[in-house]
Amino acid sequence: MMATRASIVLGLVVVVAACGRDYADGGAAAMGVETFCADVAPAVDAFVTRMEQERPVTDSARYGGTVVVASIGDLPDGMNHFASSNYSASQNQQFVNLMPLIRYDASIQPQPYLAESWEVDDLTRPSTITFHLRRDVYWHDGVRTDANDVAFTYKVVTDPETAYPNAAFWDHYVGGAAGVEVIDSFTVRVRLTPHADYMDPWTSVSIMPRHLLEGVPVSQLKQHPYGTQCPVGNGPFVFVEHRPQESWTFKANPAFPTGLGGRPYLDRYVFRVIPEQTTLLTDLLTENIDVYLGPRADQVPEIIRSEALDLLHSVFRSYTLVAWNARRPQLADARVRRAMTLGINRHEIVEAELRGYGVVANSGVPPFHWAYDPTLVDSLRYDPAEARRLLEEAGWTDRNGDGVRENTEGVPLEFTIKYNQGNRYRQDIAEIMQAQLDQIGVEVQPQVMEFGTMIAQISGEERDFDATVFSWVTEFKLDDMDLFHSSRIDQPYAFSGTRNAQMDRLLDTLQLVVDRQAAIPLWKEYQLLLLQEQPYTYFYFPERLDGINKRVRGVTMDARGEWVNIKDWWIPKEERRAAQRAAAR
Amino acid sequence: MTRYLVRRTLLAIPLVLGIATLLFFVINLAPGDPTQLMINPSMRAEVVAQMRANFGLDQPLPVRYVKWLTALVQGDLGYSYSYNQPVSQLIAQILPNTLLLSGAALAVAFVVGVLIGIVQAVRQYSLLDQALSFVALFFYSMPSFWLALMMILVFALFARNVWDWPIYFPPSGTRSVDFAQLGTWDQIVDRVRYMVLPVTSLALVLAAGIARYTRGSMLEVVRQDYVRTARAKGLPERTVILKHALRNALIPVITLLGLYLPVLFSGTVFIEYVFGWPGMGKTIVDAISMRDYPVVMGTSVIFACMVVVGNLIADVLYAVVDPRIRYE
Repeated sequence: MMATRASIVLGLVVVVAACGRDYADGGAAAMGVETFCADVAPAVDAFVTRMEQERPVTDSARYGGTVVVASIGDLPDGMNHFASSNYSASQNQQFVNLMPLIRYDASIQPQPYLAESWEVDDLTRPSTITFHLRRDVYWHDGVRTDANDVAFTYKVVTDPETAYPNAAFWDHYVGGAAGVEVIDSFTVRVRLTPHADYMDPWTSVSIMPRHLLEGVPVSQLKQHPYGTQCPVGNGPFVFVEHRPQESWTFKANPAFPTGLGGRPYLDRYVFRVIPEQTTLLTDLLTENIDVYLGPRADQVPEIIRSEALDLLHSVFRSYTLVAWNARRPQLADARVRRAMTLGINRHEIVEAELRGYGVVANSGVPPFHWAYDPTLVDSLRYDPAEARRLLEEAGWTDRNGDGVRENTEGVPLEFTIKYNQGNRYRQDIAEIMQAQLDQIGVEVQPQVMEFGTMIAQISGEERDFDATVFSWVTEFKLDDMDLFHSSRIDQPYAFSGTRNAQMDRLLDTLQLVVDRQAAIPLWKEYQLLLLQEQPYTYFYFPERLDGINKRVRGVTMDARGEWVNIKDWWIPKEERRAAQRAAAR
Repeated sequence: MTRYLVRRTLLAIPLVLGIATLLFFVINLAPGDPTQLMINPSMRAEVVAQMRANFGLDQPLPVRYVKWLTALVQGDLGYSYSYNQPVSQLIAQILPNTLLLSGAALAVAFVVGVLIGIVQAVRQYSLLDQALSFVALFFYSMPSFWLALMMILVFALFARNVWDWPIYFPPSGTRSVDFAQLGTWDQIVDRVRYMVLPVTSLALVLAAGIARYTRGSMLEVVRQDYVRTARAKGLPERTVILKHALRNALIPVITLLGLYLPVLFSGTVFIEYVFGWPGMGKTIVDAISMRDYPVVMGTSVIFACMVVVGNLIADVLYAVVDPRIRYE
């Protein structure tokens, strides 16, 4: 009897626990979530309130209002730069909640930001960079940002145990404690070996607060509550609230340095997640949101038609491509891959798919980049006759009259193109390729796949694919080492698996040439080689499209990103939400 | 009754654990893992390996299963890879949204559905009955995501931008951005405004089905002898229908409730997507595509519990409407 009762009680406990009634503890307690957030929140509130009182806003015509920016995806890593692998999250770290040492101006020249100046020991062969930090930047809990924060951030991001996603940043930097030296509270020095665009990482690495995160084992930093529950930044906006899958709310940082423009104009900035693009457009049209990030090209006419809205568009750092798996015998010959590119009308695809909002690509070098070679813009233009000639030359001829080419052993020239579900652009590319390559005697099977499964197949050891439609976002520092260098052929994203000694030599050299003028001819050679080798068929650089309500003024969006000057956005007083709500009554 | 409930609850434990175990192995055997979805050309093999180690994914599956089960029994649902927070905390933030949406939709659907069903049965073959049947079938056969988009188009976009109606509804979200600055009454109004479209889209389709069931079941009951007896002893028609007929007619409808309850917790994915409503359905679908195993497992365990609880509620309600049903 006792045993029965005990088992009933135990059973009930299990069910209650399993049914998740006991939400408050569990993993949270183990990670110290409650104490961390409970400790930092009052400090942030106290500091921000005090600064608001000390620095009241005088010009209410410009200062005030809330802007709502919406996108289909959340900011998965939140404000935790150590875990950052998501574009929008990184942007919000850089320009909203945190601060990198330097930032780019519109012509992509490094400008002071958290670092007010810096020195490079030898401009032709740099081996140290000394950063002098501003002395008026405070973490949102009132602690001053100093050189120790920079050193801490550097040690963490270069520590292999952190699993920092942008490992390539540090290929030519001296990692760990040996690579960084705190000279005084506001001076810090990092060591490197000479390489190209060595300043670039410092525009995107947001400095993290040492006083809050030191002592957390680096392998657990990704999961620390700092990232998504109670980030304490030092940037222009202070974290207020995060509702998973719904919104992030930030408010103006009254203590943001006057030397950097002081407090942002906006009172609040809200980032909203709306997964369905038709709803997103309706939200924009009904002024429920102010900025719709990345509308589809077919939604553009609706945005242009609306009197209340503007369309911002500019060429961005991302490109769409088809990666050829050259490990497959039918795709091993560069002539075949080149014939594929010649057999596809990429200009027509840009016109039809992107409604002209894009530029045909021939490499991963974006058109606005200093290394871009504009003379190659018309290379490999649609030319089915030349494509057929190349295939004949490579030994692929239709030997049995079925419309598909075969090689001497009778193996037909056919392959599948994998693309992920839910991406209409990629589906259209695969289908257009099927139709157009059929004209030159190549049989293509488009194959739609669940994203995770597709990634596993194309990046796993098996490389279970012939071709795949994909996109990359590049940094301003271009680095194709992990994509095309033969020594990296086993890295997850070395899709094509081509081996080319000239390409290896160029990739090795390009990473090390510090002087841009000396690098330009090498970049030209590299882009020419890509045209020959065609590990990818590069499709296009799509323009970044953004729908924006005209009441939001002062917005700049360009290749640097959408949030680059969010600090300077403003909404005229009479056009703000509260004013409209009051007027409606 | 209490003994019955305890027995049912105890029987549910192996069921829930069994479902969870099966799911654990199925999701872990699916190709891909959470680290592969952090796509960055410079994500090197060694970074991926380190990240897997940091997540504990480098351990063999049986070891991970035992660890997960031990934690689960202690009430620890683990830590989300993609949200970077404890699963229990994530669910605590998401579940209230779902309960609000599905609870309201279910309430509206049952009230409206049963009322329409009664009216139709009482006025069988009248013009009203046929019109309501037509309307019910129309909504019943409509895909919910399409209905949702049409609602947005009409009651948000056209109502505001084209027809200039005094009342229109926001297309998405759960509250306005200045919610925190509003007074209590305005906050309630605000929440209701945001709920109208998703609740209506969800409730319309359900109500249509419930109306069909109620009508059929009522028609069967009103022909029974005891209803005739009730009428014969001179009871007003209202009492006959609502007290004598309806109570018995509701039994099959309650079965429907038992079936709908869990579906409402899990099956609102389309509505959540279209209205940008952060709920459980979208959470689990996203977690599956992100290979966020702890979230998939955590939400599945909750769903399994919901199914059990939903059926239990239905069984208890049987006894409430029909005194002949007794549980021992």
